[in-house]
Order: sequence, then structure tokens, then C-alpha cells
Amino acid sequence: MKAPLGTLYGARSGDKGGDANVGVWARSDPAYGWLEGFLTVERFRELVPEAAELEVRRYELPNLRALNFVVVGLLGEGVAASTRPDPQAKSLGEYLRARIVDLPEDLLP
Amino acid sequence: MTAEPLRIANCSGFYGDRFSAAREMLEGGPIDILTGDYLAELTMLILWKTGGYARTFVRQMEDVLALALERGVKVVSNAGGLDPAGCAEAVRALNTGARVAHIEGDDLRDRFPDAVTANAYLGAFGIAEALDRDADVVVCPRVTDASLVVGPAAWRHGWKSEDWDALAGAVVAGHVLECGAHATGGNFAFFQEVPELEHPGFPIAEVAADGSCVITKHPGTGGLVSVETVTAQLLYEIEGPAYLGPDVIARFDTIRLAQVGPDRVGIDGAQGERPLPTLKVAINELGGYRNSITLVLTGLDIEAKASLVRRTLAPRLAEIEGSEWRLRRCGDEAQLTLTVKDREEAKVGRAFSAAVVELALSSYPGFYATGPPGDASPFGIYRAEYVPAESVEQRVVM
Repeated sequence: MKAPLGTLYGARSGDKGGDANVGVWARSDPAYGWLEGFLTVERFRELVPEAAELEVRRYELPNLRALNFVVVGLLGEGVAASTRPDPQAKSLGEYLRARIVDLPEDLLP
Repeated sequence: MTAEPLRIANCSGFYGDRFSAAREMLEGGPIDILTGDYLAELTMLILWKTGGYARTFVRQMEDVLALALERGVKVVSNAGGLDPAGCAEAVRALNTGARVAHIEGDDLRDRFPDAVTANAYLGAFGIAEALDRDADVVVCPRVTDASLVVGPAAWRHGWKSEDWDALAGAVVAGHVLECGAHATGGNFAFFQEVPELEHPGFPIAEVAADGSCVITKHPGTGGLVSVETVTAQLLYEIEGPAYLGPDVIARFDTIRLAQVGPDRVGIDGAQGERPLPTLKVAINELGGYRNSITLVLTGLDIEAKASLVRRTLAPRLAEIEGSEWRLRRCGDEAQLTLTVKDREEAKVGRAFSAAVVELALSSYPGFYATGPPGDASPFGIYRAEYVPAESVEQRVVM
């Protein structure tokens, strides 16, 4: 069923120098199982067009039911030099949660 | 070793965080240590521009240090910034009778002559030493954020440098605490489930002798401490499962979280590994000067209006080293932002913004800007460098 990713998943994003990170966590074990297969680096790049041309690294933290994505160079030379409206990528997580994706019906509340 | 966990509170997640949090944490219930984080990568540059250390910390101490002493609570913060000695002196000048220590050794500007700031991320053992020497207040410069928690825990529980797992557990606790209300429901994706988010309490970590901890907050405060609010903060500004630090590599893929009571989340299982032989150094260089102006475009022909402005200013921008346009559309309105950068302040100063404002009666219909023409401001370029850990010596000054 088409619904925002954020229906089932939380996210938090921030900066480390010129890189941004966005951690995405699932609210249940089955939802993490689906996320692990769904949210590949390719899919992440599709959902976040700003990252399409950038190196994206994905890390798995199953003990936290979470994936972490690092978008290399999204913020240029760091928060002070960046001309991005959100130079510390604070809103990247909320942007990602608002993307409409095809969520499995049986996971939805 | 004592079996009692050490109750470590946080009262600041950044320079500019809630002023009253220091008092709230002291008055809201029993704590042993009050910590505050004031330093981000950007803050070092701000302190370079404005001078020295985080001044709000000294004002907070003016407000609460007597109370902290009375309750036997020790204060550990990185408010020292670029001038820990000056910050410590300002705290001493409050005449509370507190024993104030500060830490030095992070400032590596002599090795990076082009940098305006160059600070190695120091570890926790200087803080532990200062507490051992009976300091009431420890003013740190650029220690890692987590060290503010690891140092007091190592001091209380007598940890040595190779107690990797215990140190890793405290690093996890420190990472959860370092951003203040980020751990207690602030900035939380499911914010509508958080009670009284109008005024969330700041977090507390009860760190046990084995490095495990319980994250909580004072009773009766707003916000929420749940497995999810803690998870959210654990994911903040991290890279992979190996969380690097000067004292230990904390494996974030080994920890387990459990709700052990209302607003109480237990974290255990942390495994630690020997740290890298290098220390990270946060470097800011002065990149030049920049200025920015935003024009509002309304109604019809947005693209054509933007195009007219761009064509008009193109000759002037050709004389400037860097410029960037951003058009953000929102319904019937759009904001066209022009940012310019140059090593010469005069090229992007008020003369530049005045040149844009000159278009007010002579360009697209409905012209207005979101603010008055402004001056250029200096901007920094951040990068990380690495130096051999043994080349950096941490010193405690009482």
C-alpha cells in the first residue's frame, strides 16, 4: 500500500564535517526485516535525489532495528561553508520519512 | 569499586541550549555529576570569532554553582572551548569557593599554521584525574562529547585504560546524553506520542561499575525516555557500528536496549576495542567572506522573473569568486536566494547587497527582499586531520 515511509519508521539526521548521516529505525522486528531488504543504497538515492550523484554508505544495526546512511559530501566543506538551506542536514530524516513508498499491508497498523 | 551507579546529568546539548537546564537538573532530583556540552564543529569557529569560551556556562555557574557545591554535585563541561584557562578563571572569580580545574593540550594550531582553530579530540582520563585531585568543577576544551560522561564514570568506578568494555558502555551513555533533550523526546520522529514536549526534561545516565547504564530523566518533567527516543539519539551523527574515540572503540552493534521502567531505558552489552593510534583533529580554516540575499517572487511567470534577476546580476557576479542561486517554490510564491563568496570582504559586503536592492523599482513586478541589505561575514572551511595519539599530551591544571 502506498504510504509515507515514516508511517512505520523513525529517522534522525545530522552532520559530520561535509558528510550527512541519516539513521532510520523500525518500530517492530518484522518492519526491520522489510526495511533491510527494501532500503538499499540504490533506493535511498532514488528517494533522496540530492544524494543521487554522491557516495552513500549503508550500515546495519539489527540490535537497534536500524540502518544508518552516510551521504558523503552532501554538505560541501562543512556547516559554515555550506550554502544549503539546511547546512547541517537536520531535516534530511524528516524528508526521507515523507517519501511515499509501497509498504507491505500486513505491517501497517 | 563501588556498586552504586553514578548519576550523571546533562544540562546542555549545544552553545545556546536552554539556560535554565542547569538549575532544573540540580533541583529536579538527586544527581552526582552535572555535565554540559557546548562544542560542535561550528562552535569552535564561532568561539574563534567571538573570543574564547562559552560564556553562558559561566552565567549558569553564577546561577547554580553554590547550589551544586551544597549538594555535593561536581560539574564537568567542555565550555572551555578555545580558552579553558580563561573560562576556569571566570568560574573562580565567582568566589563560590569551588575548586576549579581545567584541561589543556588539545590546541594544535602550532602544527596547522593555516588553521584558525585546530583541536584534537581528547579522551576522558584528564577529567578522571582532575576529579581524583578533588576538583569541584572541571572545565574542558575540545574533549570528545562522550568524555564528559566517561571521565566521571572512570573516576568513580576506578576504570583503567584497558577496561574496554566498561569504557565503551560509558561512551554509549555519553553519546546518548551529549545532545540534551534529543534523548528525551526532543526532535523525535513520533513527537506526537511524547507527553509535554513543550518542556522536556534533560537526560540522566546512571552508569554502573560494569559500564552498563540506565537512561532516565527527573520525575515530573516533560518528554519521554523510551527505547525509541534513546535509539534515535544513538543514531545521531554516527558512521558505522564502530564508534571511534580516543579511549576506546565502542561497538554500537553489541548493545541492547530495554525499557526497564517508566522513562527508564537500560543499555548493556557494550563491547569495546583498543582505540586507534591516531587522534582526530577538528580544523577550521578561514574560507573567505560571504553574503546572501533572498528575493521573493510572487504569482505568474516565476521562472521568467528569476531569469530576469539572474541576467541582470550576471555581470556583477562575474567579478566575484563564487556565487550560487537557489530557487525554492512554495505554492504561489518562490524565494530566490543568491549567495556569494569571495576572499575579499569588500566584493561581497554591503556594496554587493545594495546593488541587488537597487533593482527594487527597475526589475520584475512584485519585487521585495526578505530582509534589509546585510554585510558580509567570514566563513570557515572544516576538515578533519589525524595525528599520532602519543604526540598529544593532556594536562590537568588545578
